[in-house]
Amino acid sequence: MIQENLLLTLALLPFVAALATTTLSAQAHGAAAWVSGLLLAAGLAILGILHGPIAAGQVLHSTIRWVPSLGLNLTFRIDAFVWLFVTLVLGIAILVLIYARYYLSKNDPVPRFYAFLMLFTGAMMGMLLSGNILMLVVFWELTSILSFLLIGYWHQGQAARDGARMALIVTGLGGLCLLVAMLLLGKIVGSYDLDRVLDSGDLVRNHPLYPAVLTLFLLGCFTKSAQMPFHFWLPGAMAAPTPVSAFLHSATMVKAGVFLLVRFSPVLGQTEMWFFAVTGTGMATLLLGALIALFRHDLKGLLAYSTISHLGLITALAGIGSSGAILAAIFHIVNHAIFKASLFMAAGIIDHETGTRDMRRLSGLMRFMPVTGSLAIVASASMAGVPLLNGFLSKEMFFAEAADWHNGTWLDNSLPWIATLAGVFAVAYSLRFIATVFFGPPPVDLPHQPHEPPAWMRRPVEALVLLCLIVGMLPGLTLGPTLNQAAQAILGPDLPYKNIAIWHGVNLPLIMSLVALAGGVALYALFGTRIAAGPEGPPLMHHFRAQKLFERLILLLTWKWPRSLYQFIGTERLQPQLRLVVLVALTVATVTLWGVLHPAAEALSTPLNPAFAAMWLVGGSCAVGAAWMAKYHRFAALVLLGGAGAVTCLTFAWLSAPDLAVTQLLVEIVTTALLLLGLRWLPKRREEIAEDKLRPARVRRARDLLLALIAGVGLATLAFVMMTYPLVPSVGDWFLRNAYKEGGGTNVVNVILVDFRAFDTFGEITVLAVVAVTVYALLRRFRPDPESLALPEPQDAVAQKSLAETLLVPAVIMRWMFPVLLVLAAYLFFRGHDLPGGGFSAGVTLSIAFLLQYLAHDVRWVEARLTVLPIRWIGIGLLISGLTGVGAFVLGYPFLTAHAQYVELPLVGQVPAATALLFDTGVFALVVGATVLMLIAIAHQSLRMARLRERDAPQPEKEAA
Amino acid sequence: MTPLDTLPVWLMLPVGLLLVLGSTLTLLGAFGLLNLRSFYDRIHAPTLGTSWGTAAILLASILSYSWLQDRLILHELVAGIFVMLTTPVTLMLLGQAALHRDRAEGDSTVPTPRAPVTEKPVTQKPN
Repeated sequence: MIQENLLLTLALLPFVAALATTTLSAQAHGAAAWVSGLLLAAGLAILGILHGPIAAGQVLHSTIRWVPSLGLNLTFRIDAFVWLFVTLVLGIAILVLIYARYYLSKNDPVPRFYAFLMLFTGAMMGMLLSGNILMLVVFWELTSILSFLLIGYWHQGQAARDGARMALIVTGLGGLCLLVAMLLLGKIVGSYDLDRVLDSGDLVRNHPLYPAVLTLFLLGCFTKSAQMPFHFWLPGAMAAPTPVSAFLHSATMVKAGVFLLVRFSPVLGQTEMWFFAVTGTGMATLLLGALIALFRHDLKGLLAYSTISHLGLITALAGIGSSGAILAAIFHIVNHAIFKASLFMAAGIIDHETGTRDMRRLSGLMRFMPVTGSLAIVASASMAGVPLLNGFLSKEMFFAEAADWHNGTWLDNSLPWIATLAGVFAVAYSLRFIATVFFGPPPVDLPHQPHEPPAWMRRPVEALVLLCLIVGMLPGLTLGPTLNQAAQAILGPDLPYKNIAIWHGVNLPLIMSLVALAGGVALYALFGTRIAAGPEGPPLMHHFRAQKLFERLILLLTWKWPRSLYQFIGTERLQPQLRLVVLVALTVATVTLWGVLHPAAEALSTPLNPAFAAMWLVGGSCAVGAAWMAKYHRFAALVLLGGAGAVTCLTFAWLSAPDLAVTQLLVEIVTTALLLLGLRWLPKRREEIAEDKLRPARVRRARDLLLALIAGVGLATLAFVMMTYPLVPSVGDWFLRNAYKEGGGTNVVNVILVDFRAFDTFGEITVLAVVAVTVYALLRRFRPDPESLALPEPQDAVAQKSLAETLLVPAVIMRWMFPVLLVLAAYLFFRGHDLPGGGFSAGVTLSIAFLLQYLAHDVRWVEARLTVLPIRWIGIGLLISGLTGVGAFVLGYPFLTAHAQYVELPLVGQVPAATALLFDTGVFALVVGATVLMLIAIAHQSLRMARLRERDAPQPEKEAA
Repeated sequence: MTPLDTLPVWLMLPVGLLLVLGSTLTLLGAFGLLNLRSFYDRIHAPTLGTSWGTAAILLASILSYSWLQDRLILHELVAGIFVMLTTPVTLMLLGQAALHRDRAEGDSTVPTPRAPVTEKPVTQKPN
């Protein structure tokens, strides 16, 4: 039990650290480093406690039941391999924190950097500790996203943004492939549990989907681990701050890919396909990475390609998959992390203290920074594989595996040759790094005078280099047992213990090492100066840049092709868009209803009431008239539309739907007023547009008329058929029966809205809020057509004074109506639960009250006296509704459970007090806010235009006033 | 049988008279709106309906429903007050707008503005 909790705590610690660092001030470098460092150190302590049972071969599990009803659990598991990896991540994270504390400038924002770094650590550890393959993918993607954020930390620079984007696209796409692979894998195995997947190797390998799973899985791993041809994002990611590069792009994130390769090699490996794909890619990457690294002039670029090459080495080992190869892979993961992190830090120090990373400008730094220089020399010797250092040991094991016989294919036979050749390049670039930077004549014309860095900036490098030496000289005592346990965790407990020793006698691997060393030195001695003078890349290959290709592809995919597609099918004009919408609706309705819709056998009918028929005749004429007038007389069309709306409203009242009638009436008023305000910004239509009389215009109009007729008749038919069907038992009956008993209200419509279907209403008001804010945002950026900029003719002709005179009496009456409307709103609101009304109607009523004031006086007059803060109304409304819903949680009910009872108030008597009323308050406030927000947006449009006019032509305005 | 059939004859008579009066006035107003010549004449016609037309119907409603529900019902008064308050405003606005438009179009039959108000010459704005 205690171990389970420890495991959970371990997984949670980095996230706690991230949360803690976000609360710090932007300058608190020290505090941020201390807090996160101590929390990570606590993680190391936990790992120390867990070491006992894990060393005994146990696998610890810990499960959080997340959504038990869906069977979703968060499972964490740790075995010896994961233990080693997590320890590595945490250890390097702490060193990177110390380093970053001194590396970052005082002006770099602290919380962002440390929080992202800690989140990344958490994501990485989550990925390692996941006991469920889907959870693993989630954490995997999280590392991609955080790596994007970290690479783009200095987002002011173009390079950082490009690098970050490229890394995200490549690793994100890989992550998607991995997700599909894991889904397939889970389907094959029948479980997403990692332990079960790891036990089902034979089942997976014999499944017909195995090639697909393997391909997708490898795409995921290769993109993450920067294998050819997906390697190009890694050099681009070097725009990140050096601590990030040292942590992510040498020691941890890129190792996630090889971690998975090693982890899943017992499941997916042991086949020829696996061997060729993985070992082949790994060897190609190893060789080409080492070759390109030799030709890079940028320090970090050299290290990036070297990292790619070393990742290729580990990938190749995972592809070989024998017990020795897996052991070597794990060993090299650790070794590479140690020496590459220290080299990145050293490169960062050089960059920090000299101001450049260009190896052609740097030279002779040994004079100025002897300690850093010595450290870097040891680390790069380890990178080159010089004996007595850790890099030598794992490289030797790799050479041994390469030279061994595995399956006799051509690739297997060529392994030793490729390995040795890559070794030659590795020695050459390590040598170039040391020789150009630290030896030679003193540097000239550097941006800064080089000197040793602050002592604590060097400490992490010292610690890592010390590790290189200790592991390199005493491998059997230090890492030997842990590595063997890790290999056992992967390949099974009966793996024989393999002793790691420095000296195996004179054998083939040693000879290969010596050849590589000698060849590398000779290569650099012969071509060193020519490489420095040449272009940045190997001969012939420097013309071919994967980054450029990628950029071109992205440009094509995300800009050019979509643009041409858009030009082909898209339209910017409203009319074709509307036509398309109607056509689509028509098609969908026809397809779904064809042959299904029959008139009822015994159609219901009501005798026709002549008064009702007359009313509908009026309404229908109004609607047709509105359509008729809409082209040239928008105002008249609007008036007629109001007539049609009024008839609709009367119809509702006639058919005993008072609630709908009230709502329709109010909505009709607001809509008409808002449309009226909007009309002012439409350019004037005159009948004498010549093109309107030509044939194409006539054809177009005839077509639109036909479309409208079909749609309208279709809709009418549909409605008629549905309404003449005999009533069937539906959910409506349940609502009618239970509205009072369950919801405590007699107004069924309102009870449905605020109680039975409150969650829907909550969603709807949220949408309303979004729409209101969107309308406001759009209108704020709205720039009207030049021809509607001038004052409209009727306003232009009237002097301001006579307008005020004209409106004197109406304005007073409208002002009187304000309190009346307030009372009406309150009335509608409070009776809403039992009688027609409710929060929505009340809200619209209140906004009509505001609207009336805006109409009666000018905007300035109103706003000098009456301040409405619509955004707050919206926000508070949403909060009230949400909190009412959350309140049900407190009492142990599901979200938005309502409670209804009557409360005895003095003087007033019994008052219904349902919690639904509170929810309705939220609806009310939100509706008021949303409507007024749109109103104000339009009103201020006029105000802004008026200001513009005053600025442009002050004289006439003054005269007018 | 509707609830209205329970009204006693002495009450039914005034209610009926008021209803006939109100609806006749309203009908006359509507007829006038259709038939009168100028806009200014026309906006007077519906006032028949909105003044005594409405009032008579509302009174009939008060009488009959107060009897039916055995208590004094005065809701209709509120409706009446608001109709009385808002209709003149609407008509005033309509009339003023029409007058303004006619003046802007240079119609000589409409009265000119009063003397103290100096009318700004009708000019197009430069922008």
